[in-house]
Amino acid sequence: MAEKNELRMTRVFDAPKRLVWEAWSKAEYVQRWFTPAPLTTPKCELEFRNGGRFYLVMNMNGVDLPMDGRFEEIVPEEKIVFTATIHGGVDVRTTVTFSENAGKTTLAVHQTYSKETEATRGAHAGWTSTLDQLDAFTKSRK
Amino acid sequence: MEQQYALDVTFAALAHPTRRAIVARLAKGEATVMELAKPFAISQPAISKHLKVLEEAGLVTRGREGAARPCRLEPRRLGEAMKWMERFRRHWEESFDRLDVLLVEMKEKEKEKRRGRKE
Repeated sequence: MAEKNELRMTRVFDAPKRLVWEAWSKAEYVQRWFTPAPLTTPKCELEFRNGGRFYLVMNMNGVDLPMDGRFEEIVPEEKIVFTATIHGGVDVRTTVTFSENAGKTTLAVHQTYSKETEATRGAHAGWTSTLDQLDAFTKSRK
Repeated sequence: MEQQYALDVTFAALAHPTRRAIVARLAKGEATVMELAKPFAISQPAISKHLKVLEEAGLVTRGREGAARPCRLEPRRLGEAMKWMERFRRHWEESFDRLDVLLVEMKEKEKEKRRGRKE
């Protein structure tokens, strides 16, 4: 069983590792995919090296939400570890690992939260599929 | 604070594969304990124990009608638990959807470059 304050997920991309790595390591690309809708990313600066800083400004309906973080570890085309503080005081540590098989790249994301909040409590991948199945149910009952 | 406690109880209740399976089954419609026990290799009393945990967490209620007392899902508590999970999971899923689109574009550009070099 997974630990309480963590989230794990994987996703396969139909592209070689080299390109997926590029999409993570260049600000011009990160700016285009990283921020979840409806947020936009008017500013993105990356010092893509061990110990380098990253600075993102996300915007939601005209309000700027800056995010400041640090690359803890970078192993080219293998692994990126970064930390950031979100939602007023939750330290998030994210590890992303890259692996390639037959031209497709698998990304594994492992996120841990150092301060337990309502938002992170029990982030448990095992629940995901159950919750998926239940999504339609709760919507139909609202 | 009270809501946080409710979330704790909800996730503790869902932290067992049998109970998750029961919840998933009830999402399709109400069922009696006997019907719920059928797909599992465990006894009815064991199922009843799991149901009790789900009931105490407010995820499941039992009907009053008849001896069978059918079980049904309570959507409200579940909805609260889903909200926070959604935030983090959605973040990555949405972002990765956009990464997918970007990668298609990057692959195309690379192909064009290679074509250009050949000419």
